[in-house]
This record gives sequence, C-alpha cells and structure tokens, in this order.
Amino acid sequence: MTSESPSLTKAPSSQKPLARWLEPLSLLAPAGLWLLLLLVIPTLLIFELSLVPGIRPGQVVNPSGIDNYAQIFQPIYLTVVLRSLFFSIATTLLCLLLGFPVAHWIAIKAPKRWRNLLLLAFVLPLWTSSLLRSYAWITILRPTGVLNSFLGLLKLPSLDILNREPAVLIGMTYSLLPYMVLILYASLEKLDQRLLEAAADLGATPQEAFWKVTVPQTFPGIAAGSLLVFITCMGDFVNPELLGGASSMTVARLIYNQFLGATQNWGFGSALSTLLILAVSIAIALLLKFGDRDATRI
Amino acid sequence: MLSSLPPASPSCRLTRRQLLQASAIALAGLPLSGCGWTLAEVRPAVGKPGNKDELFVYTWSQYTDDTLLEEFTSQNGIRVIADIFNSNETMLATFQAGKGSIYSVVYPSDYKVSEMIEKGLLSPLNPNQVEGLDNLLPQFQNSPHDPGNKYSVPLSWGTTGFIYNSEKLNPPPDDWDYLWQNQAKLSRRITLLDDVREVMGAVLRSLGYSYNSTKPNEIKQAYEKLTKLKPAIASFTTDAWRDQMVAGDLLIAMGYSADAMGVINENPQLKYVIPKSGSSLWSDTMAIPKTAPNFDAAYAWVNFMLQPSVAAQITQRLFFATPNQAAYDQLPAPLRNNETLFPADATLSNCERIKPLDANVTELYDRYWTKLTSG
Repeated sequence: MTSESPSLTKAPSSQKPLARWLEPLSLLAPAGLWLLLLLVIPTLLIFELSLVPGIRPGQVVNPSGIDNYAQIFQPIYLTVVLRSLFFSIATTLLCLLLGFPVAHWIAIKAPKRWRNLLLLAFVLPLWTSSLLRSYAWITILRPTGVLNSFLGLLKLPSLDILNREPAVLIGMTYSLLPYMVLILYASLEKLDQRLLEAAADLGATPQEAFWKVTVPQTFPGIAAGSLLVFITCMGDFVNPELLGGASSMTVARLIYNQFLGATQNWGFGSALSTLLILAVSIAIALLLKFGDRDATRI
Repeated sequence: MLSSLPPASPSCRLTRRQLLQASAIALAGLPLSGCGWTLAEVRPAVGKPGNKDELFVYTWSQYTDDTLLEEFTSQNGIRVIADIFNSNETMLATFQAGKGSIYSVVYPSDYKVSEMIEKGLLSPLNPNQVEGLDNLLPQFQNSPHDPGNKYSVPLSWGTTGFIYNSEKLNPPPDDWDYLWQNQAKLSRRITLLDDVREVMGAVLRSLGYSYNSTKPNEIKQAYEKLTKLKPAIASFTTDAWRDQMVAGDLLIAMGYSADAMGVINENPQLKYVIPKSGSSLWSDTMAIPKTAPNFDAAYAWVNFMLQPSVAAQITQRLFFATPNQAAYDQLPAPLRNNETLFPADATLSNCERIKPLDANVTELYDRYWTKLTSG
C-alpha cells in the first residue's frame, strides 16, 4: 500500500499545504455547503431543541436537560416506538417474501426480451403520487369498498380492514415493494448461473441449490433491499395516518402531533426526531457494511 | 466497500479520521453556543411590502369556494389564494412555524382568538377601514372572546353534534351517552372530531361537568370514559368523515353543524342532532395578523364578507350560519327555519362556548389527548 516510489512523493510535498487542499475543496464546496446548511445545521438545531425540556414556540431556547428523552421511555410512548418498529420489520419481511419470488422469476426464469418490460410494469406505480396510492387503498379497503363488494358477490362475510393495523401493513408493503423488487433483481441478475449448474452436478436438489447457493450469493442484495425498506418505513407518515385510524400511532404521527397538534411540545417532538435519525443512521451503517452498493444504485 | 477507497497519501499531514473528528467537535459546539434565542418568533417581514394584487387567506375547508373567490376578484381586482387547515391548533402551529408572514387573513375560532391576542399575533382592526360591523346580530357584536370586535370579525357560527344515519339507527341518538350505550352495535362505525377541546368537552358534558372544566379529577374521568370507547372509534377526523358518511361506511359521526348541512343535502337519510345534555356553540372569525403582507387587500376581503348579499349567498351555497342580521333577513324561509343551521333558542341556551384556559390546564388536556390518541 505504501509504495515508496520517489516520483510519487516528490511532487505533492513541493506545493504549499493550501494549494494542495484547493482542488478537492473547490470541487466539494458547493455540495458540502448545501449539505451543511440544509442537512447538518437543521439536524443540530433539532438536537439543541431536544435538550430543552418541554419547550413551546415563543419560549427562549436554553439547553438544560434530557427530560425530553426520559419522556420517551414512558410506557405510552415506548408502545408507539415499538409499534413503529413492528410495522417496519413486518413490512420488510412481507416485502422480502413477496418480492424475492418476483425478482427471481424476472432475473432468472423469464425470457430475456421481456425483462425490461416486466421491470417497467413493477416500477410504474412509483410514477404516481404516493398519497394517491394510499387513497386508492382507502377506496379498496373501506367497509363499502371494492374488496367488500367483491366478497359480497361471492357471498363471503365482509372484512373490516381499514383503520386497523393490517391496512397500514398492506399500504406500506404496496408502496415499498417496487424498491425491493428492483434491488433484488439487480443482485439476482449478477448471480453466476454456472454455480447453480455446478450444484446440480454435485447432486443438489433445486431447493438445496436455492438455499445453499442463491440466497448466500444474493445476501448483499437482500440486506440492501431490507434495510432500505426498513429505513423508509420508520419515517413513513402517510400510510399510518390515512389507513391506520385511531389506533395505529407511529413515531412519525407522534412527531406530527407534537409540532402541529394540540400539544405544541417542540422539545419532545425534537427528541423523538433525534431518536428516529439515530435509528435510521444505525440502519444506514449496517447497509454500508453488509449491503450490495451496486444494487442500490437503481 | 469503504475499505476499497484509496488510503490517504503518506505526504498528507491530516488524515481523514482527524478531519472528521475535528469537524464533529466543531459542529457539536454550534448548538451549545447558540443559546438564548426565541423559538418560532413571529416577526413581520420588515421593509418588504407584499404583492399588492395578491391576497393569501388561511381558512377552514368549507368557507370559500371558487365562485366566492372569483366574485371578490371581479369586485376588487385582487387575486385570492385560500389555504386550508383543519384545526385551530394546526393553524396556530403553522403560523408560528413561519407561515405567518404569508397570510393576510386568518380564520381562528373564537377561543383561539383570545389566545392569539394574548400572544400578540393579531393586529387591531382599524374601525375606519371596516364597513358593515353594525350588520351583525346583537349577540355577536360583543363576544366574550373579543369584546367590541377589536381584533376579529365573526363570520359564522354553529354547534357541534352528531350526524347519523337515520335509516340504520333506531332509536335515533339523542345524547352523548348513546355512543357508550350502543358501543357494540356501533363498533368501528364511529368517528369523533380531531379536536381536543371539542371531544374532551363533550365527554365532560356527558358526565355533567362543564366544557371548560379546570378540575384535574374531572378531566381524568373524561379521559377514562373515552378510553372505554376508544376500541369502537374508527378514527379521529374533522373532515374525512363526510365522504365516509355519505358512502355508508359510518353510522354516526361527531361533526360541526355547517358540515352537517352539506352531507345532509347529498344523502337525505342523514340527520343532525344536538345532544340533550348540551353541546358547544362555536363561532369562527376573520382576523388580520400583525405580519400580514397586504393590509389593504385584507380589509377589502373583510368588508366583502360582511356585505349582506355576499353573506346570504354563501350561507345558501356553503351552508354555514351567518351572524349577519341583514343577510339573515335575505335568506329564503326554508333556510331560516332550518333547525340544523339555526337551532331554537331553547337548545342554544343549553350550549356552552369553549373558553380559553390557563396554560397548565391546557397542558393537562393535551397530555390526556396524546395518551388517548397514542394508545
């Protein structure tokens, strides 16, 4: 790594330190300034607000304690955090279970000339607004909606899905399935088919080959897709708000209530936001370590 | 991945790790050094006059329609853009979060007006520029929330009650306790308003207490009664119940009388009732914030809405009760005698107005509300 060829080390050391930094600095400055002003400083502001117990708009900001964070550990709010985690993990598993067969089929089984068209068909819902898609689910899942009309035609009892947790799961899974399919497809496409042939030659059944060859080879893609879905779900506001009703409070809705609802407790809202940022940062760190970076470049 | 990046060249004095550590320390010091500033301070945009031909109005969802906006534009030549909010708390929060300098007219409810006056957010109305205040009914000329209408002009009034499907509910509801008594039959077909004072106040009233109770044990009882009903509530919503009610998804919804009129017209099976033990009497007002960018247009809008012909027209089109005496006289008889819009005086005397409360009492209400909606 440290190839001590004299020609490499001579030229840079003859420049002044400032001139050496000028080129990388000038290239990074615009994006860096943008990130600093619009990402770093607001996040630090939120962190500062979270250190002022129970601050309301109009009050003076003086960071004085971590009471806001202590409030998160009250049972009622801890339930909300755990419910958010449950939604995120359940959605990730559902997307994985539904998305992997589809991606596998498109990448390996479907005829090559149909691949782009099939992928396009899966990405098409992303071209519409996510808000409209959630409203469409309301129309389908309502007590007098499409689903129950259909069940009524078949003389089956109607299902009361809307304004409950299953509706939120359905909405979230539907919103994030295209991303999972795309990432898994990118990973499965790179799978070396000769490994599967070799496994068959060595006596493995197709199921054994799948679990012992395909899944470990595509593990970075699985990790990348799962973590992406998890991160998006943790911060999802639209689906729990529209489809969840009175009993599906998540962290995102709780933060909304703190800032725009009756409580106006910006301090507690900031503490919850910082917690959410921390959770997402941990997920991103895992993504960087285990995920397939090429697959996430959609 | 990260390990595939090229290593720092040996001639570099500063490694990437050292740079990251230094910047982290520097940035962490930023928030701690920035203390003592006021959060969400609403300040007027000094030295920046707003566009004189544009008026931004912040209002409830049913108070403006395109015909009204076009009529104002044709009368005054000023373009109106109306933004919508669905609860007073959201309105105040977005106002304080920085949108205050956009809107020249806001529509706070009566109890919110007192709070906004206290916070210094509203500008006193110049009596010389407002025309038509004497058109108002006597009880609205001197409201308890804003004596003498110094800061706000009443625009509409109404009650809160139940909108229910009269075909499916027999016997029909007559009081708040109907929800608890028929909880099994109504399960998941109930919505309540997304407003802490209205809902908590209604439950307090059903327990025999006042809408504006300040006693902690009374508020706690109301909270506990609500938690018993919680599993049967589909959602807390101020506007979304309308579509669901008309479609038949809901059997009973808590709503405002102005909204009730609209849905009753769409589906005659629906009826509105004011609970026997008393409900809330509300009035929505127009006010001009201190940070308004276009004061002239704001006064023009206020005067326009106070014109009797305009007030009568929007009562007929948008179905909210008007406090404008001259407009009331212009209404056709069926509307004037409509019990939903203009209830009898006997019913009204049993209704309470929501009053603003002390900060620590409001905080108690809010805490219970958060517990109720988070569970």
